[in-house]
Amino acid sequence: MAKRPRKTVATNNGDAKKAAVNLSDRDKKTLRDLVSLADRIVLDADKKRDPYLDIPARTLSNIKYNKTKRFLEMGSNSNRRQLFNLSQAKVYMQSLLVASGSKRLIDEGKTTSLRGLYYMLKHSIEGTKEETFDDQTQSDTIIEDMEVTLNSMREELHLYAKNAGSMVGPITLTDTGDEIDCSRMGSGGYSIPSIVEPEVVQFGKCTAKFILHVEKDTVWRRFNEDKFWKTHNCILTHGGGQPPRGVRRMLYRLHNELKLPVYCLLDNDPWGYYIYSVLKQGSINLAYESKRMAIPDAKFLGIRSRDYERCELSPSVKINLNDTDIKRAKQIAAYPWFEHKKPWQKEIEQMLKNGFKLEVESLISKDISYVTEVYTPERLKEQDWLD
Amino acid sequence: MAKQPSKNGVHAERAPKPKNRIAAAEADIEAAEAEDHADESVGEENGKEAASNGRKPRRATAQSMAASQRDISVSEFFAKNRHLLGFDNPRKALLTTIKEAVDNSLDACEEAGILPEIWVHVEQTGTNRFKVGVQDNGPGILKKQIPLIFGKLLYGSKFHRLRMSRGQQGIGISAAGMYGVLTTGKPVKIVSKISPKKPAHYYEIKIDTKKNLPEILNGKGEGVDIPPNEAGRQYIEKHGIEWVEIDHGTRVTIELEGKYLRGRGSVDEYLEQTAIANPHVRIHYQDPESGSGQTEEKLYERSTDQLPREPKEIKPHPYGIELGMLVAMLSDARGLTLSQFLTSSFSKVSSAVASKVCQTAGVGTRTSTAKVGRNEADKLFQALRETRIAPPSTDCISPIGEELLLKGLHQVVPGEFYVAATRPPAVYRGNPFQIEVALAYGGMSSANKVPFDVLEDLLEETDARTLRQFLTTTFYGLGSDAADQIIKEADLSPRTSASKMKPAEVKKLHEAMRNVNLESGQTMNVLRYANRVPLQFQPAACAITQTVMGTNWRSYGLSQSRGSLPTGPVTIMVHMASVWVPFTSESKEAIASYPEIQKELRLGLQSAGRKLGMYLRRRLKVKQEGERRNIFLRYLGEVATAVSDINNADRKKLYEQLLLVAKKKTATADAKFNERGEFVDPAEIELEKDPSVLIVEKPNEFGIKEKAKGNGQETS
Repeated sequence: MAKRPRKTVATNNGDAKKAAVNLSDRDKKTLRDLVSLADRIVLDADKKRDPYLDIPARTLSNIKYNKTKRFLEMGSNSNRRQLFNLSQAKVYMQSLLVASGSKRLIDEGKTTSLRGLYYMLKHSIEGTKEETFDDQTQSDTIIEDMEVTLNSMREELHLYAKNAGSMVGPITLTDTGDEIDCSRMGSGGYSIPSIVEPEVVQFGKCTAKFILHVEKDTVWRRFNEDKFWKTHNCILTHGGGQPPRGVRRMLYRLHNELKLPVYCLLDNDPWGYYIYSVLKQGSINLAYESKRMAIPDAKFLGIRSRDYERCELSPSVKINLNDTDIKRAKQIAAYPWFEHKKPWQKEIEQMLKNGFKLEVESLISKDISYVTEVYTPERLKEQDWLD
Repeated sequence: MAKQPSKNGVHAERAPKPKNRIAAAEADIEAAEAEDHADESVGEENGKEAASNGRKPRRATAQSMAASQRDISVSEFFAKNRHLLGFDNPRKALLTTIKEAVDNSLDACEEAGILPEIWVHVEQTGTNRFKVGVQDNGPGILKKQIPLIFGKLLYGSKFHRLRMSRGQQGIGISAAGMYGVLTTGKPVKIVSKISPKKPAHYYEIKIDTKKNLPEILNGKGEGVDIPPNEAGRQYIEKHGIEWVEIDHGTRVTIELEGKYLRGRGSVDEYLEQTAIANPHVRIHYQDPESGSGQTEEKLYERSTDQLPREPKEIKPHPYGIELGMLVAMLSDARGLTLSQFLTSSFSKVSSAVASKVCQTAGVGTRTSTAKVGRNEADKLFQALRETRIAPPSTDCISPIGEELLLKGLHQVVPGEFYVAATRPPAVYRGNPFQIEVALAYGGMSSANKVPFDVLEDLLEETDARTLRQFLTTTFYGLGSDAADQIIKEADLSPRTSASKMKPAEVKKLHEAMRNVNLESGQTMNVLRYANRVPLQFQPAACAITQTVMGTNWRSYGLSQSRGSLPTGPVTIMVHMASVWVPFTSESKEAIASYPEIQKELRLGLQSAGRKLGMYLRRRLKVKQEGERRNIFLRYLGEVATAVSDINNADRKKLYEQLLLVAKKKTATADAKFNERGEFVDPAEIELEKDPSVLIVEKPNEFGIKEKAKGNGQETS
């Protein structure tokens, strides 16, 4: 996105005051953006105009699928957020609070969680009983708004999300100066932090040949216990369902920097399809970061709709599709990045025809280690995956 | 026997000569008996035959029945049917007595062109016994008329004329006196004085219910003259006669069985409502408690020195008469030509109109009325209907007027918006009448402002069995929903006995009544008036209430369920002024529903309603605008702080600049557009300039003074 033209660089001695903190170049850029945002409001007020913020729209309609790059990109639509508009006044105020909170964090050289920022900014408005934020979801969405508005990533605003997702495998890395050997992480694995930028995490030695990403913790534990990564020489990750941006960024870096192919083992349901879609093309919400996260070459290993018959599973493992599942499946089938892929259309069609979904854990009905010893190796060997 | 039903449906005889009448009746009966005598043997035979056939003989024969058939005196009739006159229970009896006396006093003063000053004195003389004294500064009454006016039913000046007055039938005050005598045995005492130099006449009167004639008890049946000197004063002192020293006026004192209660349908309410509709009257009121020193004399001060315009007597209007009436009038008017008859008997019929009528009817203008037969009369009647005739002259009616309506209502009912509408006069059954509507919006319910000691008294006095009943019957505009709300707030049981509440409970109740917002639970308070007299009973039977309920108030911004009174802090006052108000009964409690009257009522209500609607819409807009501004104001501080945190801008300067933008933003919406972004109807802006509208300035909840201002007249 084009950088906002700077109208005024008014009195700005904020940096000078907090000279004690070492500001990185990235921090300086973020601060400049924040200050110019505030300056514009001062100018508007001075000219008796009502101040506004233009926030790029984070909606499906403002998302474009870039066929050559093979990931989602954000369009140019934006929503104007005005102070003097009844329905927007409060959100406008909240947006500026988030901006000022982020400024404070950068000035003091600290980072905090989303929840931490929520508490930092939450207070009752002077003279009323109204709170600036009623719950964390309000501040979370506004943080995302500010990310796109300032064209800065969350970590540039000195914010992080909670850790979710683990990894294990024949690789060593340095996390804020600590050597970590991911092949010696016991049963829990290395917890992937939410900020995995090169300043924080640097890769060391890696002998793995590919990455197997599974949907959730329970499946990941099965694979770890069976030492699948050891026998197949791979990195094993999970994202706790919908993978957070830390996990996605880690996968992206592993894929691009160490040239490791990514295979995903997810549930056979619309949710699993969507997780795959997010990993591969990027998400609608974070489309502006697709270029730093999407892995267009990721492959969908399973579970496939035909596995119920192919693996001769017991009828007890079927979970009937509900109305939302059916609706969601149809939506996914209509996504432009699935629309023209015949195998995918067939896959989704088959699931709808089946009328039930299958979880990865359902394979356990064959044998406890069926998934690690038979299913996954066979798929990999046959190169039987969806792209 | 000739029974002539009079207009008010009572078998009344005017010009009674009782002795002669009875003699005549007896003679009639004798004659009838003599005539019947011839048939007697036949009757007997029949009787025998019947007996032999095994049938019983008749219980009474025509002859024996005739013996007990006799005249019924009006007084006897009303003594037995006292509820018809408003004496159905002790509480109402007290009110009716005062009401009749006050109404008569006001009529007398106004007719004589005197600014009325009334003294109302109620004193408790025993359990359930009250002495009521009402004095006026009217012209006084001639000596020989006093006994008849106060001691004879259906005697008066007002029945036979078409002129607007409070009293109509000449029943009221004598009936009150009769009720007093019946219940306490004490005579009615009258003092009347016509000039400072002449003696005051003092009478003690009982009404002879059999004969409908006054019986004078003092001065050997002649009454007493009290000379206008020291001796007279001593006489007054000595005999304990109640009299406020004035140049001229009349005082009537009646002792009766009654009950004094405040709240709805009370004496206090009657006087208060009278003060609203009669801003030219000064009333001194001593309630039963002021005698024992508990309360001061209450004064309802007049707000204008202008007497209402004197209503003139009129002739009937052609549109109002019926065929039978026309025939009767024709036969009365012997020796006139039709043209003469029409112009002299009706109002608004000129000779040009008369000839047009005759032409339409196909009869000559010079035809003698004696020669007009049934057919011609019918044609004439049709012609009168078809011809365009100007509406009756309105000087027979004296409306209160929009200005005084606003003044009166504003003085008694607190509120923020007042509107009045006086309809042009209309006619029903040949009687001109005029409808006036005044409306007050935004006042607190009487329940919200009741002082603690009054509440205690009210609770002590009440008949209501439960607290809920007490609340709904004592306070106007307090529906059962609101009562439940109050009781819930006070944490009491709705079935708590109202008269047996503990002091702590009363305190809780009082607190709750002050705090509960009754605005939504309030129903419209309807004050009904006929010829400036408040109507306090039988609201459901009254054309006014029915029309108020039949009007769609939702389109004027009030909420209303179908077929019931609208809700909201609204008091509406409806006045019907007419030369003859059609009451549903002699107790004058409800107006009969003539379609013409209902139509005028509806138009009057709509006219007031439209202006209320404009005001409410504007109020809503101002409120929304205020809320909008308020929301901006609330966030401006936060925004300014956040911005100055980021770029070290001057927070205060930024805040003030943003405040200016906020004001500019909301002000432009104020000026030109309504909430839908449409141009505001200029008529709505005109609301302030309308003389029939009064808007009371009131700070809104944000402390920002609204621009609305009253201009109807100065309000103090």
